Amino acid sequence: MKKLIAVTLGILTAFGGFVDIGDLVANAVVGSRFGMSLAWVVVVGIIGICVFAEMSGRIAAVSQRPVFDLVRERMGPRAGLVNLGASFFINVLTLAAEIGGAALALELVTGLNYLLWVPPVALVAWLVMWRVKFETMERVFGLAGLALVVFLVALWQLGPDWGELTTQLVRPPQDEGVPTYLYYAIALLGGAMTPYEVFFFSSGGVEEKWTRKDLVTARANVFVGFPLGGVLSLAIAACAATAFMPVEAEPDSLGQMVLPVAEGLGKIGLGLVILGVFAATFGATLETALSSGYSLSQYFGWQWGKYVVPGRAARFHVTVLASVIVATALILTTIDPIKVTEYSLVFSAAALPLTYLPVLMIANDPDYMGDKVNGRFSNVLGSFYMVLLLVVALAAIPLMLATKAGQ
Amino acid sequence: MIASARLALLALLTALLLSACVSPAWDDHDYALKAGKTAESAVSAVRFARSAVAYRDRMTGPYAEVVLTEAVQDLSSVNDQFGGVQPPSDASDRIRDEVLRLTEKAESEVEDLLIQERRDGVKDPKAAARELDRLASELSDFAEKHK
Repeated sequence: MKKLIAVTLGILTAFGGFVDIGDLVANAVVGSRFGMSLAWVVVVGIIGICVFAEMSGRIAAVSQRPVFDLVRERMGPRAGLVNLGASFFINVLTLAAEIGGAALALELVTGLNYLLWVPPVALVAWLVMWRVKFETMERVFGLAGLALVVFLVALWQLGPDWGELTTQLVRPPQDEGVPTYLYYAIALLGGAMTPYEVFFFSSGGVEEKWTRKDLVTARANVFVGFPLGGVLSLAIAACAATAFMPVEAEPDSLGQMVLPVAEGLGKIGLGLVILGVFAATFGATLETALSSGYSLSQYFGWQWGKYVVPGRAARFHVTVLASVIVATALILTTIDPIKVTEYSLVFSAAALPLTYLPVLMIANDPDYMGDKVNGRFSNVLGSFYMVLLLVVALAAIPLMLATKAGQ
Repeated sequence: MIASARLALLALLTALLLSACVSPAWDDHDYALKAGKTAESAVSAVRFARSAVAYRDRMTGPYAEVVLTEAVQDLSSVNDQFGGVQPPSDASDRIRDEVLRLTEKAESEVEDLLIQERRDGVKDPKAAARELDRLASELSDFAEKHK
């Protein structure tokens, strides 16, 4: 019974914690412009993140070491440094976007400009990372993120033309060019397969002291929790396709993105969706900030993690704090957090092979994995995704330039 | 390795800057396309303002205010950006006048609604929603004509 509760709680946490500012922005914008015609990318992204998160969870459970710890050892310091540079840059950019997202959610509640909320959000996030236990932190914000289920209820309440939504699945709008369509496909994939998710998942496994016995829980989180989170992403896109597409409105702010919930469910729905957005972005703030600390500390071999007292992992905590300060400063320049999110998605997509290739290599190495190396099915899927991610990485920046970032 | 990392960072920053640039209008056709895009952006802002007014009873005060404020900011930015593009000929001047008349009217209309909302709420939400619908339709027709 205790095991069942732990698995259920893990699934719900993964479900509620799946959506972050990137998923929210990408799905709302894509839904309003392309209807459901890019839903297939969300499905491809979910399968991809499941494949690689399962591998990294397995690596953590079997070797008791997180992925980044092994990257330098397995690939050498130079290749590891390139990997570290790319992922660290994207992490901090994503962290800035998440802090901005949480501040924007507070603006929607209070009416006070989001810039006033940025420093308090950053300060509270740092305090939570400093003081609150890893498991408590993950559970509280993951479960509160479940409030985003209101997108599903709102979709029902908006009474969409289900036939039209189904038709959109296979028919992209005629007035959007192919490069723009592909650009947004890449942004959506970047949102679904954000690199920090893998670092956080594997480092989290070590924080929670996973062993081989925990493989079932880890797999349940990944194979049930993440796809359910993907359903939420699709609901966000469907709400935008229903409320915005017919009237040619394209959301470019968080307030506009949650409008379909207010239209469908009124003040209670609005309150819940803002709570969900805050929990999702604040939870992701913690995850991205910690991931910055994890990746740098693990590369340089410093003591890291929340499972030791801060004094014993001083450099880890300094890295986390420095990342939070840099990200906060970036948002305080008044740069639009939604724009930061859009760019971070494309840069994430460009760096995806750097993140996932080491995972695939280590998951195949019997020295680390023993009898738990990848099976044939995992390798076929993993190799297919590596080819896909390579194509995506090569196309991401040229498409961003060619379409003026999707304009 | 460090030099190549620097080059990669420079390339990323250049890409970021280039993608954010507003290009000038090369000829009348290009100018008309830009005018069409401007109208399209304005339609979007007007539609969001319309929703904030029409569904006001389903929202909290601060939220409605934020949505209206963003609509005003979007319209103001649309006007500023298009106003900064040099029309290449007299024919383009006419297009300029036509689109700016609509977008400036939209900005002032939404700004009025924001002022009302901040005081005692929008006086006649139904009439305001109708007016915003009319404006959005005109802007949409213009955008369609200049695609």
